[in-house]
Amino acid sequence: MKKLISLLLVFAMLFSFVACSSTNEKTTEASNSGTNTTVEDTTTESTTETPEKPVADLSDPRVRKAFAYAIDMETLVAGLFEGKAITTNSLTPASDEWSVDGLTDYDYNPELAKQLLEEANWDFDYELDVVYYYGDDQTVDLMVAIQAYLDAVGVKMTFRKIEGDTAAQLWTPPTDPVNGPSAIDWDLAYAGIAALTLHDYYGRFETAASNNSHTPTDEALDKQIEITNTNADLTAQEAAFGEIQKIMNEELYVIPLYNQQLFIYESDRVDRNGIAYGNEQYNYDWGITNWNVEARDGKNVLYTGGAPVEAFPAPFVNPGLDITNKLIFDRLIQANASLTPTDGMLAESYTLSDDGKTLVFEIRDGVKWHDGNEFTAEDVEFTINYMGKVPTLTSIAKNTIKSLAGYEAYMNGEADSISGVVVDGNTVTLTFEMLDPNALVTFSQWPMLPKHLLEDSDPTLAEQNAFWLNPVGTGPFALTEVSFNDFAVFERNEDYFIEGTGNIDTIQMTIGGENEGNIVLNAEAGYVDYAFGKSVPDAKSIEQISNMNVVPVDIRYTRLFYVNKFPQK
Amino acid sequence: MAIGLISALLFLEGVLNLLTYILRRVLYLIPMLLIITFLVYLGLELMPGDAIDFMASPDTIAMMSPEDLDNLRETLGLNDPFIIRYFKWLGQIFQGNFGYSLSTGVAIKDIVFDRLPATVELATIALIFSSLFGSLLGVLSALKRGSLADNALSIAGMIGVSIPQFFFGLVAILFFALQLHWFPHGGRTLPGYETFLDRLPHLILPSLVMSLTMTAGVMRYARTSMLDSMNKDFIKTARSKGVPEWRVNLVHGLRVAMTPVVVLIGFRLPMLIGGAVVIEQIFQWPGIGSEFIGAVRSQNVPLVMMISLLSVSAVLLASVIVDIVTALLDPRVKLD
Repeated sequence: MKKLISLLLVFAMLFSFVACSSTNEKTTEASNSGTNTTVEDTTTESTTETPEKPVADLSDPRVRKAFAYAIDMETLVAGLFEGKAITTNSLTPASDEWSVDGLTDYDYNPELAKQLLEEANWDFDYELDVVYYYGDDQTVDLMVAIQAYLDAVGVKMTFRKIEGDTAAQLWTPPTDPVNGPSAIDWDLAYAGIAALTLHDYYGRFETAASNNSHTPTDEALDKQIEITNTNADLTAQEAAFGEIQKIMNEELYVIPLYNQQLFIYESDRVDRNGIAYGNEQYNYDWGITNWNVEARDGKNVLYTGGAPVEAFPAPFVNPGLDITNKLIFDRLIQANASLTPTDGMLAESYTLSDDGKTLVFEIRDGVKWHDGNEFTAEDVEFTINYMGKVPTLTSIAKNTIKSLAGYEAYMNGEADSISGVVVDGNTVTLTFEMLDPNALVTFSQWPMLPKHLLEDSDPTLAEQNAFWLNPVGTGPFALTEVSFNDFAVFERNEDYFIEGTGNIDTIQMTIGGENEGNIVLNAEAGYVDYAFGKSVPDAKSIEQISNMNVVPVDIRYTRLFYVNKFPQK
Repeated sequence: MAIGLISALLFLEGVLNLLTYILRRVLYLIPMLLIITFLVYLGLELMPGDAIDFMASPDTIAMMSPEDLDNLRETLGLNDPFIIRYFKWLGQIFQGNFGYSLSTGVAIKDIVFDRLPATVELATIALIFSSLFGSLLGVLSALKRGSLADNALSIAGMIGVSIPQFFFGLVAILFFALQLHWFPHGGRTLPGYETFLDRLPHLILPSLVMSLTMTAGVMRYARTSMLDSMNKDFIKTARSKGVPEWRVNLVHGLRVAMTPVVVLIGFRLPMLIGGAVVIEQIFQWPGIGSEFIGAVRSQNVPLVMMISLLSVSAVLLASVIVDIVTALLDPRVKLD
């Protein structure tokens, strides 16, 4: 016994020693990332020193186009993705209402690829360093396939997964945004962009963008991005985004690979009454109060997944990803299936001034929280101030609140609230210090929260608040029962301000949301009438279930190769 | 008088011996617990990534600025070096603060107490069922050695031991839930359930699958050990003294044969707290086991540590109990 214990102790000490030294290494790496890259560079130099060839030049558009021509995405989509993805020539999906026509497709053409590489004098001894951050097998399969396609035109590549601080390794911009050298060490980065607005796609290519590690200044592009950032007018934004798409396609600053789809799973029991399907990962007018469901055991119950495991998910990172948040909460503004803000919701109406710097909400009268308290303009004022201090708030919403007058003073403690948010009776007036092109989008996605339940709590720990054990909102369904890690029940909010013709009285949730194998099993057992997810294997399995339908929806989600066009040091 | 006093003293000495033995064994547990928790913590540390990687999609995380990530890590206490974090955690445990779930901020104490009833319910049934039936069938099979029943049970036992629980569970769901619709396919309760009887249909399938696979193990143990003890000299002595066969089997043979079986059952006791990870996962059973899987997957370190601490304590305590019970059952074992 004693021997065993002493043996274990020795092992433990040994392990701790190893662990200590490895954590030390990590910290030194993090603190001297500059020196670290130089070390790596000397090693690559020493290997490429002998041939004395010019370093491969990804800043040449012919090279980038050659890569695009070399990869047969049609075949990959049909094979690797089993047809459940869409090839694309642009970051914006072709089905998007803001996409433009007349772009070059760069369809598979290895001969042309070889020709372009010859013309560009590509160094065929150079080995492309391709990085990615996904942990799934499909990514590795895709990399292997692309490696083979590039090899077929004589281009060598290796690939690796980035570990640790991905953002720093991917997006650190160079000090000189025109000539470089690059502050990162990869050539191509396989990544995805989930865009709520087109700003999420293209803002990162501006010279000034804090995450532009890859694209040297292009004045024409900068000018168009500037327009999208400084115009509240949607038509002006759309025109500029059209120009941007053309420039990106012409220069091929990134190599767009494919658009992912979202799959909505519906049982035969549900009749959506013709309401348009949209991107269910966000909030839009999905009209659930108009849905009909076939009664089961005499009850109009809609079954779905997504019951909470430990607590209800807070809506700060993803305001619409979880069904619970769609049911419980409302936004000030409604959005349509393309996520474009339309009418008022909790706001009876709203007006945005021509310069885009004043946004006035007229708050709807007579709306009640699920606990019976009145929803007022004070709740709106409270929510905006509260969100300002929530650390996990996503950038679109964060930028809106940052742009408000008096935000700085509020954040550094000089003021108790943001001075740009003023309540007068039922009117809430927002005054912006600088224009935020996505203010309307923010208020059509992020929900209003009850002041009377949250005002004494710490917004910096918003996600950990006990409120999320029993959230109260103004939405179409109210939480009535929950057994964590098991089920949750919602009852129709009879006082809801949007009249509905549908018959759903109760929504019952089992656990198993997106990408959980349970969704297939629950669907098979008849416990899924409505759910959504992005997993291709799940969609394939659910398609096989006789009373289930899978509706694919095009969404703004694009996988691409970022191309590092700065010269490596 | 003097004899009485001596025997009383001897008895007292026996009790004292037992008590010091128990005390010593319990004291041994403390360094063991420290080492094991440390190793678990180390294991979690060596996993790539941290809790933040599981809070949002990889695309979202890849876009977060280093400052934002750093702030988030700071709030969650992930920035300290490994050793410091471990001792901070240990210090909190000693103060009775079991910490908060990294992903939701819910008190771990609440999570554990919330999940424990489900786990205890499932594990108790499986333990009782498998122990009783396993021992019974094992002993019968040993006594009827070579008979048709023995062979059939041996084959069933081999199958039971070698088929993985998850496969057995999936097949059971496929047949009894999805094809025949006799039982629900998973979960523990549904809205409106109040009594145990309401829940019973949900309990049957998982507890049956768990019981049957566990029965096989006990049965094979009991059979081997019974056969072993029936060949011992003291059995022959008992027989030669003319003790009736049933008494030889049940009193002399069984008592000794049960020792290894009790050890096996004793080591299964921690399941009451640690949960049956595989079964709970497959049957969507809201117990400690499925919580543990989720916590490991999302690198929810404080939650993994607390559940491990509980299970490890249970395992170690069970080993102490097994030792004591073995000593009481088997006259050959001395407390030392």
